[in-house]
Amino acid sequence: VTAALDLVFRAASGRIIAALAARFRNLDLAEEAFGEACARAVTAWAEEQPRDPAAWLYRVAERAALDQIRRAATRATADLPPPEPEPDAEELLMADDRLIPDERLRLIFICCHPAIHADARAALTLRLVCGLSTGEIARAFLVAEPTLAQRLVRAKRKIANAGIPFEVPGPDAWGERLDAVLATLEVAYAHAHADGGGTGRHAGYAAEMLDITATLARMLPREPEVIALAATVRFAEARRPARIDATGMMVPLAEQDPALWNSALIGEARTMLAQALQLGPPAVRALQALSHAEWCLRASRTAPPPWASILTIYDALLALRDDAVIRLNRAVALAEVRGAGEALEAVDALDLPGLADFLPYHAVRADLLARLGLSTAAREAYDAALRLGPERAERLWLEARRARL
Amino acid sequence: MKYMLLVYADENALNDAERADCYRKSSLVAEEIHASGNYIAASPLQPTSTASSVKVRNGRRLVTDGPFAETREQLGGFYLVDVPDLDAAIAIAKKVPLRFDGAIEIRPLIAMPAR
Repeated sequence: VTAALDLVFRAASGRIIAALAARFRNLDLAEEAFGEACARAVTAWAEEQPRDPAAWLYRVAERAALDQIRRAATRATADLPPPEPEPDAEELLMADDRLIPDERLRLIFICCHPAIHADARAALTLRLVCGLSTGEIARAFLVAEPTLAQRLVRAKRKIANAGIPFEVPGPDAWGERLDAVLATLEVAYAHAHADGGGTGRHAGYAAEMLDITATLARMLPREPEVIALAATVRFAEARRPARIDATGMMVPLAEQDPALWNSALIGEARTMLAQALQLGPPAVRALQALSHAEWCLRASRTAPPPWASILTIYDALLALRDDAVIRLNRAVALAEVRGAGEALEAVDALDLPGLADFLPYHAVRADLLARLGLSTAAREAYDAALRLGPERAERLWLEARRARL
Repeated sequence: MKYMLLVYADENALNDAERADCYRKSSLVAEEIHASGNYIAASPLQPTSTASSVKVRNGRRLVTDGPFAETREQLGGFYLVDVPDLDAAIAIAKKVPLRFDGAIEIRPLIAMPAR
């Protein structure tokens, strides 16, 4: 029963909670009611497995929510809503996709409202839309579970008390709101991606990210940035099998063996990218997807890396969004195309509070210094990177690089 | 839902002409809120140099000169609106004239039982 429940939970919890939240306009109620339905399923399914477990959970949760509203109304001596009829056999025989309205888009916009703190948005989306447990999210975000649980409670309280609407935003607010959704998914995916092996202390929820970005792309087929993000997640996930070698060490993109990449996923990503590019001139996320597409064109390790195209794409990106991460990535390509000296100048010109705590900054600098033969400075930069506590795969790689000096 | 929009800015940043212009534009926003039926109240505030505070110190109430805290930005005015949700309140806040360094805090009111 638990295994069956786990399966439905991952696959359908987002849809069920979204439908309940949209109907009752109350996230806590939706979550509690769904939790109650799951608890009842443990005993009920032991006797008889329902034909459609998701529909069963939705119906039972719906009744649990109505019961709770009724109890609260009785306490407040307010008007009682009419009693909810028990679901009849015919209803329970309906396929879940007809019974459960798909309100996930609405739930995503609620969870990703710009008035909620960015980290809390990502955590809330993973919890409610993707069905991850608080423990899994806490591990991915490298925070203690009680801290994350409290963050979720605060975010939900804000949604309820600040009057965040349970609607997909209208045209005047669309741009900003959609951008908040995409930024949230990027934060969420960055945590999944950071876990190179998929077995580290991170949650390894990349599958959920593939699913939610595809769902969003399907729901918003006219939004190129949404589709481009779905493509980027696919390109990046396709390379996962090549990211770590037999010793557990990270393999940088330019040294990965393309034979290990997932070509089916790359194909899916290309279709999506083409679709995004048809909808208008490429914006930030389409350009990012394009740079992934360039890398994924490589047929073998002996094929020359596409550094020149990558630099062109990063020049275009920089014109749209000037930030330290893009400048740093551009510097990596710059080193290959125009030499390490020019790249080091670009990196040393970066000015950003918190740069000293940004591991890629030290890693890129160390590599450039090493190429220029400045071994002492390079060693210091590798040490600075290692002090920031990288994941094992990256630590091994940084240590190997330092040892080569 | 009712929301209080608290307008914060550096009260010394504007000269007289700029201040008059700011009040005029703010009034237009207030009229617009009124026309859409979302208006409860709105007003600019006199500068903090006119402020008095009642503070409790060791259980005693003291009247003092000036605002409660010295900050770079001061409360310079407010709008009290009744709108369907936060997004509607945000849309109004975005229309309020602000210098490039000002800020508007949007606070939902707690609904109290009617007497």
